[in-house]
Amino acid sequence: MQVIKISKAVFAFTILLWGFAAITASAVFAEENRTLELGKIVYEKHCVICHGEKGDGKGAFFAVVQEASLASGIYPRDFTIGVFRFRSTSTGCLPANDDLRRIISSGILRSHMPSHPDLPEAEATAVIEYVKTFFAEWGQMEPCKPIIAKKPAWLGMPDSVKKGEKLWKDMKCWECHGDMGKGDGPKSNQLKDDWGKQIVPYDFTSGAAKRGDAPEDIYLAYTTGLDGSGMPSYEDSMSDEDRWHLVSYTLKLMGLVK
Amino acid sequence: MKRILVSAVVLSMLFAATAFAYEVVDVKNGGSIKGKIKASAKVDDLVLTIDKDVEFCGKSQPARMYILSPALEVKNVLVFIEEVQKGKAAPKTDITIDNNKCVFEPLVGVAYKGANFVIKNSDNILHNTNLGLLLKDKRSTVYNLALPTKDQVITKPIRRGGLHAIKCDAHAWMRAYLFVADHPYAAVTDASGSFEIKDLLPGKYKVTVWHEGFAEVTKEVEVTAGKASDLSVTLSKK
Ligand code: HEC
Ligand code: HEC
Repeated sequence: MQVIKISKAVFAFTILLWGFAAITASAVFAEENRTLELGKIVYEKHCVICHGEKGDGKGAFFAVVQEASLASGIYPRDFTIGVFRFRSTSTGCLPANDDLRRIISSGILRSHMPSHPDLPEAEATAVIEYVKTFFAEWGQMEPCKPIIAKKPAWLGMPDSVKKGEKLWKDMKCWECHGDMGKGDGPKSNQLKDDWGKQIVPYDFTSGAAKRGDAPEDIYLAYTTGLDGSGMPSYEDSMSDEDRWHLVSYTLKLMGLVK
Repeated sequence: MKRILVSAVVLSMLFAATAFAYEVVDVKNGGSIKGKIKASAKVDDLVLTIDKDVEFCGKSQPARMYILSPALEVKNVLVFIEEVQKGKAAPKTDITIDNNKCVFEPLVGVAYKGANFVIKNSDNILHNTNLGLLLKDKRSTVYNLALPTKDQVITKPIRRGGLHAIKCDAHAWMRAYLFVADHPYAAVTDASGSFEIKDLLPGKYKVTVWHEGFAEVTKEVEVTAGKASDLSVTLSKK
């Protein structure tokens, strides 16, 4: 008798649990829907003009850029292929939420992507979730660990600049970016991005970089690679220390240290 | 309590997700698809003009694109089934992609999700191996790795399925093609244009015949237990 009573209780409890689970599941989905609804509103207000209704980068501004035939490689990103440049994650990885958050708030100066520093936190979070929906595989791909850029105390010191100069040669950065970093190396004239359009290597003497020109940004650019642009990842081909010496040298190319 | 509920939700979502994954089963007395791929007319191979690192790579190179036998049988054609629900396990073999004398070895291959890309530079110059999914009028970068040093080897897990195109941004003429899947049902034709895909469960399959220089062909093939179904295709130049 006792046994039956208990199992009845267990049964009732299980049913109850499933009921709760169903309610929580629908609550989770409802919550998700609300986020996406808000994300869509934010997207349509701030992003659709460039990135397009389908997230394929073919917004109204796309036509304008084409007509004016501005410099090569400057057009809104197509989110549908799930390839992002300015990540803290390794090559082949999707960006972390914080990477997207940062792009949205500071913009990409060089590419006419505006900054949105005043976008409320909830709206920024929502638009990020909405942008993810343009790439069908997003949910299935395993998230990658962000790479932490921790600059050493000796960054920019003469000895480190000298080591960096040798690395610039040995690692063949000059082949694309040029001897003096002007973006005019022997391989610079035939580079194509994932959309088959011509792209030019960054000119270190020109000032503002796309992802930012703090030492950490320079370090991450060639550590992670700028996927989709032809700029490869050196994470597996250089030690962490060497990558920082190379930053020292790029600071010199940029005129920031002697 | 909350944690239990959340894990119940997560578990049911996981369950829903696995419903679409490839199911590995023991295939006994399966069927096969075999055949010969030919070209509709004779095509001469191309010669590629080289304008970067000429001292090392030479001034020109055979493209190895159209490798035809006198009977017009085509080598290096990929024959694959894009989606398979159920079948035998894919091998865990890694695929080596070598940058050797300014060409990728192999030019065409098959690789498996869950195994690794082993990328090697045998040359004394910078190569970068840029793997991407081949999509309609664009690609989607899967990995882009710099290999500035001779004999360098980089190993990366194979995570995405589909037809991959490999390029080297430093040398525009370099290219290779891989079909990647979570199942083993894909093949590359040999010098006599022949291929065989074995151990398929009986049923209907959509088979794609792909080559960089010919128009793609997709055919439905019916496979019966213990028998070989023929798939012989004549390709026309793109
Ligand atoms: C005036 C046009 C314009 C507007 C408006 C705009 N973007 Fe962009 N966006 C661009 C361009 C151009 C790029 C490509 C930059 C490049 O790599 O050259 C870009 C790139 C991006 C990227 C890719 C970053 C990476 O790591 O590759 C993201 C994400 C992005 N935009 C999100 C947004 C969101 C979200 C909004 C709205 C809040 C927005 N953008 C509004 C023009 C715009
Ligand atoms: C195969 C050619 C190639 C090689 C080799 C190469 N780069 Fe680049 N790099 C590029 C291209 C193309 C871009 C531009 C990407 C863009 O505009 O979105 C770029 C961009 C960059 C940027 C980012 C600037 C920004 O706008 O945020 C940095 C930093 C950089 N490269 C550093 C290096 C360093 C250091 C090396 C050597 C270790 C190197 N690159 C090797 C092609 C190359």
